[in-house]
Amino acid sequence: MNLFRSEEHVARWLDANGYEPGATLSADEMCDLARAWWGDRLAPDWRPHTLEQNHAILDELGLTGEFWRLA
Amino acid sequence: MDVELRNRIYAWFVEHGTAPSAADVGADDAALQRLHDAHALVLEPDDSSIRMLNPFSAVPTPYRVEAGGRSWFGNCVWDAFGIPAALGVGGHVSTTCLDCGEALEVEIVARRPRPSDLVAHILLPARRWWDDIVFT
Repeated sequence: MNLFRSEEHVARWLDANGYEPGATLSADEMCDLARAWWGDRLAPDWRPHTLEQNHAILDELGLTGEFWRLA
Repeated sequence: MDVELRNRIYAWFVEHGTAPSAADVGADDAALQRLHDAHALVLEPDDSSIRMLNPFSAVPTPYRVEAGGRSWFGNCVWDAFGIPAALGVGGHVSTTCLDCGEALEVEIVARRPRPSDLVAHILLPARRWWDDIVFT
């Protein structure tokens, strides 16, 4: 899960390393995902996210489809 | 999962800036291993020391984060952006483009990244993330 200058840089890196493309998010989308996923990690009442909670986070951000299914 | 132990470990990390040993948090290696098995933290493969307390990394990585007046390391871009979120503050992420090596500097203010024209790539599908979390 890495940051790149642009989609062109992602494509060149994938090609150079022989990787199949995964998913590309804008910096804004990654920021939203990070906040939803990790924002509660230091909360005193933290409890593990259930699979359903994590899927709900992904769905809410439009990250749907087989690629984004955790199990 | 021993949530209280997990929370003590995270609190220790944020207070001290380094990962605790099992003894530091009144636990033993077996208890840390159980948290590792539950994906609540990640241990180094060859001993019982803590490598990841997602989104934080206990070891240096290419994702340096300045947030809350301290320096941290994230395990990847997702985690690096997540550290300010977890701390409830803004932050600054420094890394390099894996393709060209250009330095990438991202300021996160009011929950928004600037510049916003950078992109993140997630190589593996979600169900494979924990096959090898360090690679992921």
